Amino acid sequence: MEGLVLGLDLCDAYTQLICSQGEKTWTLPTVICRKKDQDLWMVGEPAYASALKGDGVIVDKLVKLVCKDGTSTISGIKYGGMQLMVQFLVQVLALAKEEYRTDQVQKLVITVPRVDTRLLEVLRTCGDYLGIKPGGIHIISHTEGFMYYVLSQKREVWNNQVGMFDLSEDGLCYYEMKVQRGMRQSTVVAERERLEESFDLDILNSPPGAKMADKILCSCGSRLLQKKLFSSVFLTGEGFLNRDWAVNFMKFLCTRRKVYMEDVLFAKGAMYQAEDLLREKSAYPFVYICEGRLDCSVAMKVMSKSQEGLLSLAKAGQVWYEAATETEVILDNQDYLEFMVMPLDSKKNKLLKMVLEGFPKREDKTLRVLVQTEFLDERTMSVTVTDQGFGEFFPPTGAVIRQEVML
Amino acid sequence: MSVIICRKEHVANPWYVDGLGINIHSSQELCYAIYHHPLLFMDGFVDGNLVEFVREELGMGFVAARMEQRIKTGDKPDEILLMFMQECDYYTTAELNKLRQTMTSLRKLSPLEYAKKKADYLAEFKQYGKAIAGYEEILEAAAKQSDSQLEGRVWNNLGACYARIFQFQKAMDAFDKAYGKKKDPLILEKMYYLTCLSPALELKERFRSLVTEKQQEQWEESFKKAQDKAVESPELKKLQELFEKDSQKRAKESAALVEEWKQEYRNMA
Repeated sequence: MEGLVLGLDLCDAYTQLICSQGEKTWTLPTVICRKKDQDLWMVGEPAYASALKGDGVIVDKLVKLVCKDGTSTISGIKYGGMQLMVQFLVQVLALAKEEYRTDQVQKLVITVPRVDTRLLEVLRTCGDYLGIKPGGIHIISHTEGFMYYVLSQKREVWNNQVGMFDLSEDGLCYYEMKVQRGMRQSTVVAERERLEESFDLDILNSPPGAKMADKILCSCGSRLLQKKLFSSVFLTGEGFLNRDWAVNFMKFLCTRRKVYMEDVLFAKGAMYQAEDLLREKSAYPFVYICEGRLDCSVAMKVMSKSQEGLLSLAKAGQVWYEAATETEVILDNQDYLEFMVMPLDSKKNKLLKMVLEGFPKREDKTLRVLVQTEFLDERTMSVTVTDQGFGEFFPPTGAVIRQEVML
Repeated sequence: MSVIICRKEHVANPWYVDGLGINIHSSQELCYAIYHHPLLFMDGFVDGNLVEFVREELGMGFVAARMEQRIKTGDKPDEILLMFMQECDYYTTAELNKLRQTMTSLRKLSPLEYAKKKADYLAEFKQYGKAIAGYEEILEAAAKQSDSQLEGRVWNNLGACYARIFQFQKAMDAFDKAYGKKKDPLILEKMYYLTCLSPALELKERFRSLVTEKQQEQWEESFKKAQDKAVESPELKKLQELFEKDSQKRAKESAALVEEWKQEYRNMA
């Protein structure tokens, strides 16, 4: 075995793990506990047990803790969010490593509800502590996990629109995706909406509460699904494990629609992507437009062979945190750079101008600059331009300009 | 108005341009140097060494192979150079056409005028030693053709080069010969200034008789103005500041400065 290929769904309430090598899945609460008197860590149910016995200190809401860059003190030792996350992931991955008797992880795709910059940074760093080679760990949004899961099903399931309700302790979310077929390549667009009507799962334990929850979902369903043609609708999350409370909602949903229930959906989607990343040629040759990926292409206006052209800096569907570029260009008789932002709808193309204020005024064709681009999120591109000088003719002046461009 | 993409070039061994006294680290810099100083690149530049630089340092193997082929078939060096520049995509076709015209007009000059232009160019870039050698070769050839106008201009420029490297006697002799060919009063003025710079020199009797008292007064005034201007020059101020520093710093920095001057002089001469 070359190593495990894993999909991991990481939320504040729960964590799910699935491995490509077998059928087994693990679902556990996202909590970690450290024994008071020794450096022994536990996760999931044993963590709760230890805390209840009083010999361990438990920390929950690990994702929030990481995003907020928070700390937690256990037995007088202050642990940072990253340290706790590393410990948690070590323990979780150990479950699969033990089951499949290997220490190696070939690919790990982690899916999270929202792709937060700090969370991304921490999870990618965790890869080093988990013994995963650089490039062996990827972080995707739930929306992307949902897309991969759906696209791994038969074509009839995603011929038209696909909807999904996710009801968990973290709230109620609605997902929707559609495949737009193109001449050269098809594009899959998916969105996630966190519904304001969200409720606590505890209310399902009382008949009036369950009735109200059913009513809420019926209202959401009719608002979100009506007048659209759906190939399928999925239900996922702890709230839908038992659907006895949602009689009317299920009745509404199952009328002229195919409805599927999948309780390990995001983790499976992540695992399918992990498998796909190891293939030479993708089994899902789509452009993905969703949270965590860019919904527009960005290019810089340049001259090539005496003709105006565009130098691609980022492509729609690219993972935004991986879309970083470095290009050296020479400005010929101009003191600005122009960037073309191209959403899927080409009518909405826009041209952004970046004036290089404070840069030296040199004779034509000798202002050489380094243009570095990176994305701070799906909508914000950061551009840094640095004067590189022009060899020994004109040494660099140290002029630098940095701008954040809203796409 | 445009933005040109730079090729990724990892030049470990830069190309030294003698005439400019600088190292070239990229294809754009090379194109820029050729475009602005074609005379420095028109003779003996296109050869195996250049092909090697293009191939190994600039990483343009295909272009190097084409250059090699064209050198073998005896193509004109100017055309090979222009082909290289076209491939670099730094200058537009229109700009390269302009350069082609410049090169053609230079090639149309008589061999002596061309050689003079080149020597003038070297002198402009303070390469006085090389310029002097060039002027001397021209004078040798010009003497056979008895072109006194050209000879006069070359002697004049030769005198200026000698003066720049502080060889005032040789400068005086050159101006003497230049006046003999051109009878230009400006040459007399230069000779007069040489006598001011080097008191050991004096104007020959036959020249002294040509200078009026009024002219001499004007030249004296000009020389004084130049001296006053020199006193205000930033280089001199830097030197004064140096002498105000403590002895240790002064010794260290003056040694560095003298070394810098020596190097500059060696490059010039």
